[in-house]
Amino acid sequence: MSNLLELPTFKDPEEKIKARLIVLVSMGITIASMIFVVLSLFAMPNLFNRALALGTIIVPGVLVVAWLLRTQRLHAAAGLLLALIWLTVSVGAISAGGISAPITIGYMFAITISGLLVTRRISTLITAMCVIVGFLIAWAEMNGWLPPVHVFSSIERIFIYSVFFILALALQNITAANVQRLLRQTHESEAKYKSFLESIPTITYINSHDLNTDTEYISPQVENLLGYTQDEFLKDRGLWKKIIHPDDRDRVFAENASTIETQMSFQMEYRLIAKDEKVVWVRDEAILVHDAEGLPQYWLGVWTDITNRKQAEEEQTELIGIMTKRTIQLQTAAEISRAVSSMLDIDQLLSNVVELIRNHFEYYYVGIFLLDESGSVALLSAATGEMGKQMIESRHRLRVGDSSMIGWCISHRQARIALDVGSDAVRFKNPVLPLTRSEMALPLITHGAVIGAMTIQSAIPAGFSRVDITALQTMADQIANAIDNARLFAERSALISELEKRNTELERFTYTVSHDLRSPLVTIRGFLGWLRQDVSSGDLARFDKDINRIANAVDKMQTLLNDLLELSRIGRIITTPRDVQFREVVDESIDLLSGVLEEHKVQLQIQENLPTVYGDPTRLIEIMQNLISNAAKFMGDQPNPVIEIGTRGFDDGGKPVLFVRDNGIGIEPEYHERIFGLFNRLNPEIEGTGIGLTLVKRIVEVHGGRIWLESEPGKGTTFLFTLPIPEPT
Amino acid sequence: MIGEPILVMLVEDNADHAELVIRTLEEHRITNKVRHFLDGQSALDYLFHRGEFSNPAANARPHVILLDLRLPRVDGIDVLKAIKEDDHLKSIPVVVLTTSEAEKDVAKAYYNHANSYLVKPVGFEEFKRLMDDLGFYWLSWNTSPEIRD
Repeated sequence: MSNLLELPTFKDPEEKIKARLIVLVSMGITIASMIFVVLSLFAMPNLFNRALALGTIIVPGVLVVAWLLRTQRLHAAAGLLLALIWLTVSVGAISAGGISAPITIGYMFAITISGLLVTRRISTLITAMCVIVGFLIAWAEMNGWLPPVHVFSSIERIFIYSVFFILALALQNITAANVQRLLRQTHESEAKYKSFLESIPTITYINSHDLNTDTEYISPQVENLLGYTQDEFLKDRGLWKKIIHPDDRDRVFAENASTIETQMSFQMEYRLIAKDEKVVWVRDEAILVHDAEGLPQYWLGVWTDITNRKQAEEEQTELIGIMTKRTIQLQTAAEISRAVSSMLDIDQLLSNVVELIRNHFEYYYVGIFLLDESGSVALLSAATGEMGKQMIESRHRLRVGDSSMIGWCISHRQARIALDVGSDAVRFKNPVLPLTRSEMALPLITHGAVIGAMTIQSAIPAGFSRVDITALQTMADQIANAIDNARLFAERSALISELEKRNTELERFTYTVSHDLRSPLVTIRGFLGWLRQDVSSGDLARFDKDINRIANAVDKMQTLLNDLLELSRIGRIITTPRDVQFREVVDESIDLLSGVLEEHKVQLQIQENLPTVYGDPTRLIEIMQNLISNAAKFMGDQPNPVIEIGTRGFDDGGKPVLFVRDNGIGIEPEYHERIFGLFNRLNPEIEGTGIGLTLVKRIVEVHGGRIWLESEPGKGTTFLFTLPIPEPT
Repeated sequence: MIGEPILVMLVEDNADHAELVIRTLEEHRITNKVRHFLDGQSALDYLFHRGEFSNPAANARPHVILLDLRLPRVDGIDVLKAIKEDDHLKSIPVVVLTTSEAEKDVAKAYYNHANSYLVKPVGFEEFKRLMDDLGFYWLSWNTSPEIRD
């Protein structure tokens, strides 16, 4: 029993109140029925049977109610309790003989309690049932179906009424207390929520649900974040829109307009400009709040400060950017190193390097200057693009010294950077590179010596980061080494090919010498034997002939030996070269050859104004002597032999082109190259050792010139050669 | 062969050497018919019946060719090649007779199907001996196929 009376626990405060009310009413009606039984036993014996009947309805009913409550069935308990009261009142009224019985006031009690315990509809139902049963009882009473009307004495009536008064009072007290407590709780929780909202770092706001989305409420901590007070936001209700970062405004407004239309939640990250002009990143999340009927009421949203997170993100992005760039640069550096280390052709190396750097680093222009032999002028040796080509063609050169960035960089052996070329007076504006905005010059240093410099130009002002400069300087060092390697390789290759050439020549020399010296020996020894026979047979005519053959063979050997000696000297002996009037060389040669020229009846045509050349006069005379005598010898059956001597313009290097032209037999094209080879004699009928043209070629080349020929059989031959001109003083 | 003069073709740019060869061959009655050419081109013209040698009857094919290697206009090796590449001429024995002892020349000559390689000896007796042996070997001992034009 005590168990049953113990109040069960309900989580919902409303349910708790209802449960308590059910318990109190149950207890109230149980006690009232018990008092009624006891009183009727002593004071109103005529009512005892009825009191007992009511008690037997109420007590088990209340026990069932208590059991239902225990098992958390609040609605069932409430319903059963109301049904119990209704039944008790109805039974009481019927047994008392009619509607006038005082117990009928209990219907009021039932209705009042129903208002507190059950829904309005059930409460209305109960009221209706009370009214209907009241009428039914009255109708039964009028038809005399009920027991005779019990006449209550005044004291009985007031007693019964008093029970209900007391019950009403208890009920009223309980209700009032509950209402007050609910009110207090509501206030408390509202205050709690408000203080919570206004103390969290997130800013809460309410915006109107219309196109303006004006601020209707904003939590006061907005001042901490943006410097603007709550009042400022409420005074200028569109303020939030005015302080959006200009770059973000469009997308925020677009999203705002879109969510107003779709009524979807708004979620966005954007920047606000605080009162102190600082940029604040916020995440804005808002939902549209609807009323009970589903009509949109207002936007409820929060601003969360995400400035730190965004900064971290930006820093991270920047870091990733730097890392990525660095990685690419390292790859480029590696690629360039690989490329340059495998390249031994210096021109190919340089042009590849500039293209690789420009393409990978996306620069406007990259060029490499190399110092010339004097060390005072840097010549552009490789450069990117059409402009680079133009400058290389025009032999773009810069003097070492402070008049240019490249010159400065070479003379100071230091990198020089002009982040804004407009402000750096060192850079002379280059009209071929109009888009250059920043420029870097890096020295190329290898084995401690500056060999040149690299210029890197960007179309962006301040186009070089610290990372770029480090990477490029490292690369410049590698490039300098590669250039050095390529140069050494080129030198080595040149030496090897020179050695190979010498070696081949030497082989040919020994071979030919052994052959050409052996050949007269065969003649001499052979005919010496025949001389004996000539003498013994007395054939003096043949003796004479054979003697001549021997003498000629001896002469041939001597000429050959002399020529060979001459040739071997030419590589070694150059008497101090000087300025020589070429006309004097020609005249002297003609003097020496007067015999041959007269013999062949050669007419000489010599151009006026032959140039002054620079060389060894003795050797130059040898050139002309050989060429003129050759021309005279190979006239064939030409009736009017003419030899022309003159100049024909200049070669690419600015050297005058001299020529000796004849109208003799000419030379077939396949011999044009071979003719300069040692011992290559084309015509056995014509005297010679096959050394003359080899000697001429050697002398011309020793002087830094070049010799070639133009000829067709039957149309004469022109030998052309170049010689250096005097150095400008 | 009997009654028919034995024709020797000599290609030699050195007139003295040619005289030595011809004189030795004739005086020793090895042959009395030597045709001498000073350069490779005229030798080939003769063999192929070109130009002034276009009449085959007057310019019979030789029984043996004595060929110097270093010749003007067309080199000895090229003359050798031309002979050995021609179906009619390739069976004519070609004896290289030169002053060069170079291994390179010997190899080149045999590579191009020379039938013999002889170095001109320095010395009268040696020269005479060589010519005797050469005559005996190629013109007496050796049997050559019949040469047709």
